Order: sequence, then C-alpha cells, then structure tokens
Amino acid sequence: MLFDSPAYFVFLIPVVLLYWRLNCRAKNIFLLLASYFFYGWWDWRFLALMIGSTTMDFLIAQKITPDRCDANRRKWLIFSLVLNFSILGTFKYFNFFVDSFSTALNTLGIHNLPLSLIRIILPPGISFYTFQEVAYIVDVYKGRLAPAKSFIEYGLFVSLFPHLIAGPIQKPGHLLPQVQRNRVFDADRFFDGLMLIFSGLVRKCVVADNCALLANAAFSGQFGKPNFWVVLLGTYAFAWQVYGDFSGYSDIARGSAQLMGFHFMVNFRQPYLSRRLQDFWRRWHISLSTWLRDYLYIPLGGSAGGNWKTSRNLVMTMILAGLWHGAAWTFVIFGAIHGLVLAIERLFWPVKMKAADGAQPKPYAGLLSGWGERILTFNVFCLSLAFFRAPSLNLARQFLSGLSNLAWRSEYASAFFMLAIFAIPLFVVDLLMEASNEEYPFANASYAVRTALATVSLVVLALFSGSNLNAFVYFRF
Amino acid sequence: MRSSTSGSNGTALSYAKRLAGICAIFIVVFEISAVYLLKHLSLTYKRISEQYDEAVTMHPCGPGEPPCVLMVGNSLLMYGVKLDQLRVMTSAKMNIYPIFLEATGYYDWFYGLKRLFREGVRPQVVVVGIGVNYFLENGVRQDYAPMLFFDARDTLALASDLHLDRTATSNLLLAHSSTFWDTRSAVRTQILRHMVPHLEDLFLMLSQTPAIPEGHEFEEIAIPRLRRLNGLCEAHGAKLILVVPPTLASDGTVSQMAFAAHSAGVDVSVPVDPGVLSARFYQRDGIHLNPEGAALFTSALAKDLPDKIMAHNTMASR
Repeated sequence: MLFDSPAYFVFLIPVVLLYWRLNCRAKNIFLLLASYFFYGWWDWRFLALMIGSTTMDFLIAQKITPDRCDANRRKWLIFSLVLNFSILGTFKYFNFFVDSFSTALNTLGIHNLPLSLIRIILPPGISFYTFQEVAYIVDVYKGRLAPAKSFIEYGLFVSLFPHLIAGPIQKPGHLLPQVQRNRVFDADRFFDGLMLIFSGLVRKCVVADNCALLANAAFSGQFGKPNFWVVLLGTYAFAWQVYGDFSGYSDIARGSAQLMGFHFMVNFRQPYLSRRLQDFWRRWHISLSTWLRDYLYIPLGGSAGGNWKTSRNLVMTMILAGLWHGAAWTFVIFGAIHGLVLAIERLFWPVKMKAADGAQPKPYAGLLSGWGERILTFNVFCLSLAFFRAPSLNLARQFLSGLSNLAWRSEYASAFFMLAIFAIPLFVVDLLMEASNEEYPFANASYAVRTALATVSLVVLALFSGSNLNAFVYFRF
Repeated sequence: MRSSTSGSNGTALSYAKRLAGICAIFIVVFEISAVYLLKHLSLTYKRISEQYDEAVTMHPCGPGEPPCVLMVGNSLLMYGVKLDQLRVMTSAKMNIYPIFLEATGYYDWFYGLKRLFREGVRPQVVVVGIGVNYFLENGVRQDYAPMLFFDARDTLALASDLHLDRTATSNLLLAHSSTFWDTRSAVRTQILRHMVPHLEDLFLMLSQTPAIPEGHEFEEIAIPRLRRLNGLCEAHGAKLILVVPPTLASDGTVSQMAFAAHSAGVDVSVPVDPGVLSARFYQRDGIHLNPEGAALFTSALAKDLPDKIMAHNTMASR
C-alpha cells in the first residue's frame, strides 16, 4: 500500500476512526493487527519473517538487561546482532555478493557457474525494521531502556505501520514509551497530522513525480548522449525528486502516526540549505544519520582518536550508510564520496565554536559566502547522486563523462523550466521553514489559514499529479 | 472520537471536520469536472468514443456484402493510415471500423477486443496494428484505456496477467471507475502545455518507448500472445490479421514479428518494407509516418489487406 495511493487512505481512515473508539490495550492490539495487515498487503510470505525476528528480539531483550546477573548477557547481545544482520545480509546483500563473486570469477577466467540463477527477493522494509530492532537491543543492553514487558507493545514498536516500510527509524527511547502509555486524543495534533499528510502528498505527487520524469529521461539517455546540461538536469532533477519523495514519505508517515496520537521525529530539515556536508547529514534523513552516529560511528570511536581515526570512522560509517541504501557498488561509491568529503571538511575547514554572541559558525569563512557554501554543498550532493541513481558504476562513469561536452539543445530550456516550476516552490517553502523553524509550512498560522492552504494543496494535487504510481524511492531500501 | 475540552482543541477538531468535508466535496467536484471536461474538451475522448460507438453499432454483413473489418491500433496506425483514402480505395471490398488510441499495446487491445465482443460486436475480420515494441510490452496505457476499454473483471484479469501488486491493481480498478483518476495525467499535461514553452518537443523526449526483447525472448513473448489474440477472434467468428507498421529503425524487428505471426498461425500484413522508407517519410521522432509516408502506407495497405481477406474467404468457402 503506497502512501500516495487511494488504497492507503481507504485503509487509514477506518483504522483511525475505529482506533479512537478503543481502550488503551485494545488500541495496541488493533494497531498491531492493522500493521500486520498493512505489511501483508505487499506480501504475506514476509510477514512470518518479520514476526519471527520481532519475537526473537523480544525474548532476547528479557535476558540482557544490566540488572540481570547473567554471565551470558553479552553472548545474547552478540547472538541477536548476528541474527539480525544475518537476516538483513541474506535478504538484502546475498544477490550483491553472488554477483560480485561471479564477476570476480569471470575476470579470473572461470565462467558458466550458475551462481546468478540464485536470486533472493528483498522483503519490504527489512532495512528499517532491522535497524529499529538493533537499536532496541543495544539500548536495553546498555541500560538506556527497560525491555518491553508485553509482546504486543514491542511488536507494535517494531511494526507500527506508518514507519514500517521506510522509516523514519524511531529511537526506541522515543517511540516505545509512547506505545506503552495510553494515548489521548488531541485535536491540535490530529489537525497537525492532517497538514503533514497534505504537505507530504504535494511533495511526493507533485514535486517528486514530476521531477522524476526529467531525471528518468536524463539517466536513461532520452535526452541523447550525456553532456554537461544533461548531467546538470539529471542530477538536479533527481535531487529534487529524491528530496520530494522521501521528505514527502516522511511527512505522510509522521502525519499518519500523529492521527493516532504518536509523535515521530522530524526526518528532514531543509537539507538543501546546508552550508557543508556535515550540516547536510544533520538535516537529511535525520533518523538514519542519528542511528548511524549512535550505533556505528560512536562505537567505532567517533571523533575521540585524533584526525586520522576520525576520518577513518567517518569514511567507514558513510560507506556502510551507502551500502545500507542498496546492495550495489554504486551505493558504496556514493557513501565513500560523502565520507571523504566529510573527512576533508573536518580536516581543512573545522567548524569553529559558536561565538559568544550566539552567531552561527562560519565553516569556510573567508573562502565562500553563505550562499556560495550552500550552492557548493548542494552540487557535491548532486554529483554523488549520479552514483546513487545510475544502475551501475559503468553507467555512472559514462553519465559523468559527459560533463566536458557543452552541446546545447533547445529542448533543455523547456526541461530546466519545468524543473524550476516544481523545484522552486519547494525551495521557497524550505526558506520559509528555515526562517520560522516550523515542522511543516505555516504550522503556526491560524486554523482557517491552514485549512485554506490544505484546500489549495488539494487543488494542486488534482491538477499536477500524474497518473502513474511511482513507488517511493526509499521503499526499495 | 473523544471530544476535547480545551477551546483550542475544540477549534482544531472543528477545522479537522471541515477539512474532511472539503476533501469529500472536492472529490465529487473533481469527478464531475473531469466528466464534463472529458466530454466537452477532450479531442482524444471524442474520437475514441465516436469510433467505439460506431464499432458497437456494426451490423454483420449479409451474403454478397463486403466484410466488416474492425481495425484497432495505436498511433502508428493513427498517423500511418489515411482513413478516408483507405475507405475510398477499399469500399467495394470491405467496411472499415477503426479504433485508434495512442500508446496502446497488446494488453490494451486484447482486453479491449474482449469487451467489444462481449458487447456484441461481430466483425468478420479484426486487424490489429501495433508497433512491435508495444506489442511485446508488459503494460497498459494508464489513462483512457482502463475507463474506455476494460470491464471491472477484465481489469482484475489484466492485473493477474501483468503480475500487478494489490496497490497497482486497486489503482487500475479506480482508473476504470473514476473519470478523474483516469484522466488526471491528461489534465496535468494540458496545464503544463500552457506553462512550459515547447512542451510537445520536451514530451517527445520524455516519452519512453518500450524496449524490444532480443533473441528467443522475442518469440517466447510474441507467439503465445498472437495465439491468444487469434483464439479470441476465432471464438467470435473473426479472422485476425496482424498489420506491422514500419518505423525508422524497425527493419529487423518487423521481419521477426512476421516470422512469429507465421509460427502462431496468424495472417500478417507488412504493407511497406521498412527498409525502403527513408527518414523523409517519417515525422521528427522517426517513429510515426508523416503525410507523405502515410499516403504510401495507406496505398500499400489498401492493396494488401483486401487480398489477405479474399484469400481467407476463398479458403473458408472451400
């Protein structure tokens, strides 16, 4: 059930209406069943895998709390981590390793091994719920969180349908207590939830889906052989597509959760206004970058061991972040680019401490102005997106090799104009939100104004959304 | 829902209800507007519905009368066949009932024909003219076709054929039942046409042409489809003729398609050898014939098609 499909709203509306008529315990049971139905809508076969993995972690968590004098605590932790990452590795990375192994054998002259015939289908949302479960197990082990006493509560924490398929990955300490306490209807937050859903639908169906037309055409060669303008158009269009797509998804997820009294963490904070890549990762897919920081970068040593070790940790973390996005070398390169640029930024342009007067730090002070830094950061991200979007390393290289050719065609002007029509409004909204620090545009305006804006969104959706349902980019992760 | 006691909560709830009401009203308004716009402004809808209605009123020919030919296809036939010219040239030999819709392929017409047969259409000959790539494509046109060509049960069968997931199936069902949902892409294109200069040229580049499978895969897809289409026509007393229109780069694939049709026992007509048509007979896209190419193609079709039908009738009478 895609969030932008009518089927989702046919599911969501009765679920929300029925949910608020139930008592606390019944609410959780009902939501758990609804979430399993939501997941099973894609493929019932993978429901057993998710329930199995949830059950294992629920049981293991009971054995690893710090107050237990069990000598096997650490072993249970390792067992859980191995289990979780084995499941993820098998389903997500098996094909990647088989293909890489097969290619390596081919280069050694060993051919015709039927390795490529073995294929494993990727269960939806596996990367997201695995990370959520790992975070829970680690937090319980470290004593940051008490283990859930009820399977219903833990099962709901893992599978609550708004975040089940593509996040935002919720911190256990943030979501589990919400699941455990009774949620009381709050009309203010309910209204905010509706606004978030409208905002998300416009981002996805209007901005992302229309930019996708241009990005797909550029990357699939429909604009002709890649040249400077096609690369620019393709990467810029894809940048706005993926931003509209995933921030839209996150908004709908947060809005849907809010309709049921849950609060999800903000996942995007105007990332294209970042003045450096480090800042970018604090604004882009915040739930993932927070997870990576807390459960990978800091355990690796973080920034505690000098420049060399910090750089190594950054590059390793970002390569794994890239690999998390997809099992392909293109994602490894995407992550490596980010890791290297983060390390370079840290070495050569360290962030100065906040001035005493509270002024923002100036990362490249003296070298570039604020907008120059933003443009540079945006373009570094766009460049890395060529690897994120291209189906293979070879195609990414071919695509980027067009940068030296400046041949212009008149159709490009129409394409850039169309991109501007859809990207600029989102950019303006980001500027407004940056100035006001709101969770969604005009969040502090009166109800009447927000209702009017939602009505305008409805009209915009009707007039500018396309006919094809494009799956959310992050659904395949 | 529990009611809230605070003033702010009461206002929020009241506006949430209003918003829900606005959504419900807008859905109705969008649907009514879409029906109105479609019937009064859409040239495509006007053309298709006229052609469809004309086909549905087709009378089975009596003894000695020229056979009724239902001719269906996509833009290759729409631009490649000069209908008036074809009718004049073949009036003594056949009555042609055309239905052409751009960007349609095998599945659109298989289920489209199924519905036409169900509605009582009984042609003696069915001519299907689709480009090779669209014939082999696994997909359907997302707008117009679900509403105009499919029944609800066809939509479910089609979803099963295409292995669509439940979300895509429900989307297709909605496109079949809601004019607004079916046509919103067309509405967007019309609006963008007024906003973006030279949008037609841009969309020419943006429209993706399905790839043609190579080698054995070609035949593995084409032959069962041709047999299925042939079986459908035969079950309703019609002879199927596959017309393969030329495109600038279609030389090899046209002969491959003709071979697949022979293997499936389907009569095939290749009125013009693509190898003899240079770029000057095509539009800028290299896919559709220009008026000069269309005149040439129509003349060749007018010659070839009656021969094929006559040969069939002679065989049948024996």
